Amino acid sequence: MTKAPVAHGNGTAGGLIAYAGLLATSGCTGASVQSALHPAGPAAASIAWLWWFMFILGTLVFIGVMLLLVTAIMRRQESRQGPPIGTLPFVLLGGVAIPGVILFVLLILTLDTTVSLRTPDTDLTVEVVGHQWWWEVRYPALDIVDANEIHIPAGRPVRLELRSADVIHSFWVPALHGKMDLNPDHTNVFWIKADQEGVYRGQCAEFCGLQHALMAMEIVVHSSAAFDDWVEQRRRPTVELNVRQQRGKEIFLSSGCPQCHTAGDTTAEGEVGPDLTHVASRRTLGAGTLRNNRANLTGWLSNPQAIKPGNLMPPTYLSPDDLHALVDYLQSLK
Amino acid sequence: MAAQRNSEEAFQQTWESPNRGWGVLDVVNNQPLGRRFVITAFIFFLLGGLLALLMRLQLARPENDVMGPEVYNQLFTMHGSSMMYLFAVPFLEGLAMFLVPLMIGSRDMAFPRLSAFGYWCYLFGGILFYTTFVSGMVPDMGWFAYTPLSSSRYADAGVDYWLLALGLVEIAGITAGIEIVVTILKLRAPGMGLQRMPLFVWTMLVTGIMIIFAFTTLLTATFMLELDRSLGTRFFDPQGGGSSLLWQHLFWFFGHPEVYIMFLPATGIVSMIVPAFARRPLAAYTLVVSAVMLTGFVSFGLWVHHMFASGLPELSMLFFTAASLTIAIASGVQVFAWIATLWGRRPRFDTPFLYILGFFFIFILGGITGVMVAVLPFDLQVHDTFFVVAHFHYVIIGGVVFPILAGLHFWMPKLNGRVLDERLGKLSFWLTFIGFNVTFFPMHILGFYGMPRRVYTYPAGMGLDEGNLIATVGAYIMALGILAFLGNFASSFRRSPGTDMNPYNGNSLEWTLPSPPPIYAFRSPPAVASRHPAWNEQRTEDDATRKVRTAMTAAPTHWRATVVTDVLTGKPQGIQYLSGPTRLPFMAAVGVLIIFLGVLAKVYLLSVAGLLVGGYAILRWLWPTQKRLERMAYSGIEEAAGVPVFLQGSHAPVWWGMVAALATVGMVYGVFLFSYFYLRIHADAWPQGGLAKPGLLTPGIAYLALLSIAPLQWLGARLFGKGRHNTAEAAVVGAMAAAAAFLVMQVFFLQALDFGPDLNAYASLFHVLSGMVMLTASVVVLQQAILLRTLRAKHTVLEKQLPLQWQLARLFAYFTTVAAAVVYAVIHVSPYLF
Repeated sequence: MTKAPVAHGNGTAGGLIAYAGLLATSGCTGASVQSALHPAGPAAASIAWLWWFMFILGTLVFIGVMLLLVTAIMRRQESRQGPPIGTLPFVLLGGVAIPGVILFVLLILTLDTTVSLRTPDTDLTVEVVGHQWWWEVRYPALDIVDANEIHIPAGRPVRLELRSADVIHSFWVPALHGKMDLNPDHTNVFWIKADQEGVYRGQCAEFCGLQHALMAMEIVVHSSAAFDDWVEQRRRPTVELNVRQQRGKEIFLSSGCPQCHTAGDTTAEGEVGPDLTHVASRRTLGAGTLRNNRANLTGWLSNPQAIKPGNLMPPTYLSPDDLHALVDYLQSLK
Repeated sequence: MAAQRNSEEAFQQTWESPNRGWGVLDVVNNQPLGRRFVITAFIFFLLGGLLALLMRLQLARPENDVMGPEVYNQLFTMHGSSMMYLFAVPFLEGLAMFLVPLMIGSRDMAFPRLSAFGYWCYLFGGILFYTTFVSGMVPDMGWFAYTPLSSSRYADAGVDYWLLALGLVEIAGITAGIEIVVTILKLRAPGMGLQRMPLFVWTMLVTGIMIIFAFTTLLTATFMLELDRSLGTRFFDPQGGGSSLLWQHLFWFFGHPEVYIMFLPATGIVSMIVPAFARRPLAAYTLVVSAVMLTGFVSFGLWVHHMFASGLPELSMLFFTAASLTIAIASGVQVFAWIATLWGRRPRFDTPFLYILGFFFIFILGGITGVMVAVLPFDLQVHDTFFVVAHFHYVIIGGVVFPILAGLHFWMPKLNGRVLDERLGKLSFWLTFIGFNVTFFPMHILGFYGMPRRVYTYPAGMGLDEGNLIATVGAYIMALGILAFLGNFASSFRRSPGTDMNPYNGNSLEWTLPSPPPIYAFRSPPAVASRHPAWNEQRTEDDATRKVRTAMTAAPTHWRATVVTDVLTGKPQGIQYLSGPTRLPFMAAVGVLIIFLGVLAKVYLLSVAGLLVGGYAILRWLWPTQKRLERMAYSGIEEAAGVPVFLQGSHAPVWWGMVAALATVGMVYGVFLFSYFYLRIHADAWPQGGLAKPGLLTPGIAYLALLSIAPLQWLGARLFGKGRHNTAEAAVVGAMAAAAAFLVMQVFFLQALDFGPDLNAYASLFHVLSGMVMLTASVVVLQQAILLRTLRAKHTVLEKQLPLQWQLARLFAYFTTVAAAVVYAVIHVSPYLF
């Protein structure tokens, strides 16, 4: 069973020189699909800039204090007076004045960055609803419902309305922005903007129970034109079904599936699990757990509990032939 | 001569701590109890570390299957809970219980039975935590137990185990906190004014006060969550008008001070060890003390920086950023004072000092990343990632565990009478130091590369593989370091105890005692004339002090006692009776345990039984016995020392104990009132669910009855002072009757309401606040009954205690009146006003 692919975004390699020292310790291979240090949008970029500024400042402070400490314990001094400038001035200068200036600068930077990170005006809004353990994605103006991936156009800010259907989750796509919680009792407004096309990975960042680790998503960034095509594709009515797919559809409707899932214009209107109207177009299964292909889909249907224990989907008990017909049908839902 | 030997023997015998058979349950002395706390806490530290090693095994490789998500989630929940609740604070409180009396020149803690009660509660709580591995109900919702994930809808009984075990540990934490504060304020040696207190004592004083407020908040919050889970109240239930964020506010109002509750005593340890190795008093003592107090104060204003990603208003978050940054200045002052102390002194690199140097390196790094995560936009990126995991392990292991290990080496001669081996000590330091950095440094980078906290697995090829493997290797190196320390400790027992009095050149009073110190610590109360009495032997004392010290030398012989001094100046004020061995604290703790087990099993009859057992023990414990009072009155020590043994008002440690207890209860009220207004501000309508506004008149009469007890008490005390005992007695009966009448009326009123506490969050708060006042009123009834009993026993030695009993009863009555007035104004009147 192949795991979900880890896509590569077009992250800029800004600041890598200073980071080389750090990398030596971790030996990272450079995969940057979920990296805060490879920003792909203005919000993540300004936070990354803030980090590099604080990193340099912090390094200088650390080296400075360590040098003072080494000097203090290595230097033999005849007089018992303590530091050359006198104890009290030493403590006040090092402990109050210098940190005070540094912290003041940081505070100004914080205010400035916070203001620049306010949600910009935009005409594209996406609602994200957290579930244990998957993401429901709605485009209210476009009348599109999706799951576990968000398609956005490059260069356009996207307003996110975040809430949860059960426990607290947190929306986090490091290459685009920081994180924001999805609460069950109020909607949080957040935003993302990607500079260029690419795929960026994100995952839930607030512990939300058993499969918190397997609650990922992908942000697929299209060019403006490609995004319009995508919208068109999502609005297209369901394609004609061949006999086998038609049989699969009947199995789908007569098994337990419709209790939890919605599938296009069929009678299946369940709302517990992800909307399956365009399931075949999705990149992953099980919220970023598996690559979406025929083998994985068959495996997922027959025993989802073996792949992502604890999720709400029960095993499907069908004859191999029926199972394959069901897979045929689901794969037609493009 | 023979008589003198006899009295010496009697003195020794009086102080002896039972150590055979069931006698171990009766121990109340601070030294054995402090050792028990320290050892028990260290065992939980080892267990928590073991869990971490298992977690690192699972995370060593991507998509690993050493364990599934269920086990992993249980492990990180128990790891965090063990380290935060069962190790750090109990360890430091235990260390304080052992060291503080030695450092301030007292023979024991102020309330020895409370020490024992706290220890048993702590032990029971810790065991209850770990029995979940046997019962299979291991909590798995994280040490922070965010609602609604921890509510009964999403979590099984593991959470109940966690809440109740934590409840026991919190009770232990609060009792120890109260006791530490009162001991430091009242039992310092003659001459030890506040300005001469050792830094460790200063930090424990601030910490103790912080514990009273922070732990009480957590205790109340856990109580509310358990009510939600077992009785169906709706405090944290979004579907019942409750709020998921309310828990986060309450939890972090505890959780952030908790960090400094661990860190401040650790800085206290550093401030004791640095001067010893620099052979010079601490530089900028006053500034350091101010920094400690500032840290304690400001730490209560930072909690929201744990909630930056929860969607709060921008302005309030920026305020918390600014507050969080200021606390760095307080730490900066301490660091530079230590450097100034060491300047030019070429300290010897013994193990305790090596650990201090390790502390400097690690803690300063953790402090720098701490400033970073206080920066709001940056925190949005690293919050709940491995960057934060790295940050707080740098702060807590570097800032707390390293000083603790330094302190264990430093004070081992006092703890078990032996100096630890230097070679093994250095080995343990280097392994721990290197292992620590190899484990946690890569985690900073893992966080940037997108690794969230609390994940049992991660995909390969995301840049997380190597860093995780390195971290796992580091964890095992660090474990070897801790093993080397344990080996060092174990092998020290092969040597006989009784090493140097002061092998590391410490400057505080404990270094004037033999190693290990006698159980009563000071045969004769010391007199203190400087900040470093172990270096500066010269003593200038006035006649009054000399008289007290002479009278108290190996005396009194048949009851335990220590000197009470003035809170500010350290002038002798009296002699405090200290309890001898008794099983009552153990019984009381067993009672509390049974209550909790009853709730856990949902067999509430069992809880009632526990209430009876615990109530009986506590009543026996508080009941003044004639025999004890006669012993105190007729021992002749009062005349010899020239100070009273029956203390009054703010001279009496018990009075301070009552003030601290009222602060605790007041905080419980505060948490409920905060919750009330928090929910009200966020509610669409109040009362929720279309309920009618609460009645004013009927409950008004009941509350009016309760309000009358303060004037009645005041009147009673005045009449008593004028010698009109019979009328005073009538006032006491009146207060008792008023409180009882309130209780009866409230029962009828609440019965008649058309909503129960499980309807919605408003109803829950209405009932719980009413219940709190009823509980307070019940204590009034009980307290007045005891007062009445003493009043009636005329012309006996009991009368000696009367003034103090009046004062305590009055304090409580005033508190009750204020609490009742506030609660009435809030739940009955405020819905009409706004």
